[in-house]
Amino acid sequence: MAGSTDKAVFDIFLSMESGPAAASSTATAQAWLEHHSCSLGLFIDGKFVCPADRQTCSIADSKGGNVCSTVCAADDDVSQCASSAVSGYKAWSGMSCYARAKVLLRLVSLLGQHSKCVSELCDLCEASCSPASLVRLLQYYSSWAQLRDSLITNWTPLGVVVVVASDDCSFYSLMLKAVPALAMGNSVIIVPGRSTAPPALLLAQLFMGAGLPAGALNILTGSDMSLAVKVAQNSSISYMTYSGNKQDGIMLHKATAGIGIPVSISCIGATCPFIIFESADIDSAVDGVLEAAFKKKKEVHWVLYVQESVFKLVIPRLKQRIAGKKCVNLASDEDRILVDTAVQEAQQQGAELLQSCAAPPSGASYPPTVLCGGAPSSPFVVSPAPGPLLPVMTFRSNTEAVTLGNHSPHGLAASIWTEDLTLALETAKSLSVGSVWVNSHSVTDPGLPISGHKDSGTCTDGGQAGLYQFLRSSCTSSPPLPRSSPVSMDYTKFGIAASPVLIPDNTDAASAPKTYLQFVGGKACKSDSGCSVAVQAPGGGSVLAYCPDGGRKDVRNAVEAAIKVQPGWMKKSPTARAQSLYFLAKGLEAKRRDIAMSITSQLGLSMDDAEKEVDLSAARLSDWAAYCDKIQGETLPMPQSGTALSIPEALGVVGLVLPDKNPLLSMVTLLGAAIATGNAVVMVPSQKNPLPVLAFIQVLQSSDLPVGLVNVISGRRDQLTVALANHSVIKAIWYWGSAEGCQYLQHTCTSPLKTLRLFCQKENGGMNWTQSHPSLLEEMWRNAVQWKSVWIPTA
Amino acid sequence: MAARNPGVQFDLEWISRVRVNTQAVLKRAQQIQGLKTPKKQWQAAWLLKAVTCIDLTTLAGDDTPSNVHRLCLKATQPVRQDLLKKMDMHDKGITTAAVCVYPSRVADAVMTLKAVNSSLPVASVATGFPAGQTPLETRLQEVRMAVADGAMEIDIVINRKLALTGYWEAMYDEIRQFRKACGDAHMKTILAVGELGTFTNVYKASMVAMMAGSDFIKTSTGKEAVNATYPVAIVMVRAIRDYYLRTGHKVGFKPAGGIRTAQESLVWLNLIKEELGNDWLCPHLFRLGASSLLADIERQLYHHVTGQYAAYHELPMA
Repeated sequence: MAGSTDKAVFDIFLSMESGPAAASSTATAQAWLEHHSCSLGLFIDGKFVCPADRQTCSIADSKGGNVCSTVCAADDDVSQCASSAVSGYKAWSGMSCYARAKVLLRLVSLLGQHSKCVSELCDLCEASCSPASLVRLLQYYSSWAQLRDSLITNWTPLGVVVVVASDDCSFYSLMLKAVPALAMGNSVIIVPGRSTAPPALLLAQLFMGAGLPAGALNILTGSDMSLAVKVAQNSSISYMTYSGNKQDGIMLHKATAGIGIPVSISCIGATCPFIIFESADIDSAVDGVLEAAFKKKKEVHWVLYVQESVFKLVIPRLKQRIAGKKCVNLASDEDRILVDTAVQEAQQQGAELLQSCAAPPSGASYPPTVLCGGAPSSPFVVSPAPGPLLPVMTFRSNTEAVTLGNHSPHGLAASIWTEDLTLALETAKSLSVGSVWVNSHSVTDPGLPISGHKDSGTCTDGGQAGLYQFLRSSCTSSPPLPRSSPVSMDYTKFGIAASPVLIPDNTDAASAPKTYLQFVGGKACKSDSGCSVAVQAPGGGSVLAYCPDGGRKDVRNAVEAAIKVQPGWMKKSPTARAQSLYFLAKGLEAKRRDIAMSITSQLGLSMDDAEKEVDLSAARLSDWAAYCDKIQGETLPMPQSGTALSIPEALGVVGLVLPDKNPLLSMVTLLGAAIATGNAVVMVPSQKNPLPVLAFIQVLQSSDLPVGLVNVISGRRDQLTVALANHSVIKAIWYWGSAEGCQYLQHTCTSPLKTLRLFCQKENGGMNWTQSHPSLLEEMWRNAVQWKSVWIPTA
Repeated sequence: MAARNPGVQFDLEWISRVRVNTQAVLKRAQQIQGLKTPKKQWQAAWLLKAVTCIDLTTLAGDDTPSNVHRLCLKATQPVRQDLLKKMDMHDKGITTAAVCVYPSRVADAVMTLKAVNSSLPVASVATGFPAGQTPLETRLQEVRMAVADGAMEIDIVINRKLALTGYWEAMYDEIRQFRKACGDAHMKTILAVGELGTFTNVYKASMVAMMAGSDFIKTSTGKEAVNATYPVAIVMVRAIRDYYLRTGHKVGFKPAGGIRTAQESLVWLNLIKEELGNDWLCPHLFRLGASSLLADIERQLYHHVTGQYAAYHELPMA
């Protein structure tokens, strides 16, 4: 570069080039690394630990140079770390809210002192995170830490929480989980990805300086996801949450099935629609899409949808604005091959390219490229290559834009551009994504919840909604899943036992057991197979009744009916939903005697007790009716000027595998939560005690709920669990059943991801359904919604 | 000099559907302000470029032949000769782009410049500057007289009443007449953006001014409360870009009012480079309307050459 430094003023005067970018210094971060001899240990119990003879993993910067090496934790380290985390939890959760908040705030001032070191280290490791965003994150959650006991009453921390990141996850996404977990009083074990390991270790060190008790934050580094699985196997872990790419997430989900801890996933790498309506500020929208799509380290793939009427205005502007943009660095040479292949394939299919410059013959960089003339079926749209490629498509009408935007397995975010307020809000409501940015894109703030809809995740991060994954309502005394080691099971054989045969016998007509019907698409009917299963009387022995032996086809029919009416039900006003629920409660009271009889015969309770249960159930339904217009979103305070909305939305179709205990009361509690928030349900009554739920069908029949909103399919639990697990429309499953069933669901419900609430039933104990604790209902409805945030920049 | 913008037929369709999102523009402006500005000799070269784009201006009630004379001489030798020599720029004809004065002072300026054998153009504001609230006939006459006195460039102000009430075609017709009155003199149209209310109006006024044949569009008179801001500039240069896309004619841009520091001038150059490209980085398509800016640029150049910060009295005044 000798030539460029002595360039004459006159030459520059003519060419008006900007000159070399000042090389960003990384001296401070380097000094910190060298202080650790460029080999970072594990962070356990408040200090760096470098156990002897462990494998190491070297971390490279963008140019392939070695930054440092990290230790790959072994089994001993994991158990040492876990016991440190347990004592860390005792110390940390024992502190007052004020004391915890103070630690987070002290870290803010430490970050201020060492912001240079943090930002340089993030740059070196390409973990993309600015100290300013960390400061905001800490400040936001320190206030929640301070107010936990005043504003989130009846919820307690979980214990030891594991936060896992894949190699390509940003440091901010990782901290967006770790900080709220700490703020709520949990102790946290971070299992970072390759790029996030050094900054996580640095932050852990700073946390100790801020007064975090030793063990409240431990960092275990490794070489791949297998470490996270090892950590999950430790019996002191209560919850694991993951942020990163889909493949690693699925692998983690499957590998931890049956261990007995809930695992939630936030996916990056989604395909997101960028929609330009004809009423948009076209120039700003074009600038926006170029900025979003051609970022160096982007976590989403954008697809541009342009209204046909302004397509001819957008394309020349894209062409003009893209000119002169520099090549974007790719992660590796392999990525370059993928990008080249994708572009060639696109061209063969007639796509037209708009490129800022010709692609360099080789190397891990590629010019920003717009691909015109694609269709939703084009390979470069379906499975986008990891590079600066932006497919463009057209749409005719506003509704078509929403249809195109929603027609994707992903549901992370969308950017919509229009100056028409009505259109903006209607579109924001109709898109099934977690974040909608109006006339803007990629706006993140810890106050604005990020939630992956559809296949993009199973939890909400950020905001108040993001706190509940790290809390347990105080009405659930014990963790829902017992810790165990996964049983070795053949997942393909689960729930496929043949239907039990029924043969005619000599019972006379008078004492013949009653035959019940199930309820699919608003009709009481037999199962598709025509078979029935026997229901045993309490204490076993005699056959009490027969109920339909439902299967895959019954579930399919039920889901089809449910998905038809669910969107309409969700759009109904909360008051209208409340009226329907009140009416359902009234219907239950009207059939009080019938239903009580079914409880008596099923459970052997006295008529008095049974009637009490019916009354409680009617009261519970009325509770839910009253809740309908109380479950609401809010406008969020944000540091930037604008309007931020956080809206709870229904999940869609929820599968319920109901508990044996309090069969009627537990059913109306769960059913009420699901439909009060706008979901449709497919319910599987307890295999042991199905009669009260089957008797409830007559109440459903006389209700004014939309036909198909609530379906009841009876039969063998395992078989129906398999059917629910293998239907992609079902977004969530709430399951009370066997340990194997829980393991099966965790292993199976990964593609697409389903939100699972699993409870392993025990003979005695478990949830107390008769209590009317406020946090019981709160927990239920929070499980029944997914959050959407909408951001509208305004003055 | 390259071809002038001849203007086009008025077409309401070009502006009727335009929407400008204020917040998106503000964000873009922030991004541009956040761009790195050049350092070392790149900075020196850019600052010299800025000097060559300055319309060195005096528009005050107490202007007399003597201060106009000083201004003209400073315009022809804007940077101390020894400083230029150190940068090997002394023989590259560094002058400001023009001097800009009130119509009554045009003759004085022309005389001074002729006396020193300078071909530096004299620009004159006209058409009832700054408010534009005089009868059309007197405004036209003002243009004709300034041209007759030797002004090579005329900075006209638009009739804000027509813009604010949406009489775009009437505004087009007025500007068209000014253009005719200018003859060979280049016409810069001042939009007085501080008084147009919305960015959408700024965009529409820019487009109408260009359709009517403006050679430059200029942000403000320097007499309104809000002067040249980066967001408003983004809206105007986008209009310039659109006009170029539609017609193939390049129209120049002149921010004026409130530009005082060398750093600001670098941001302005960055903005133009980012939004319009290097083609626009020349006095033919970019001007900075300023009076005190030059002193600060000269101080920065002094620092670049000597490594010292100059006292104001070390550099010749305008």
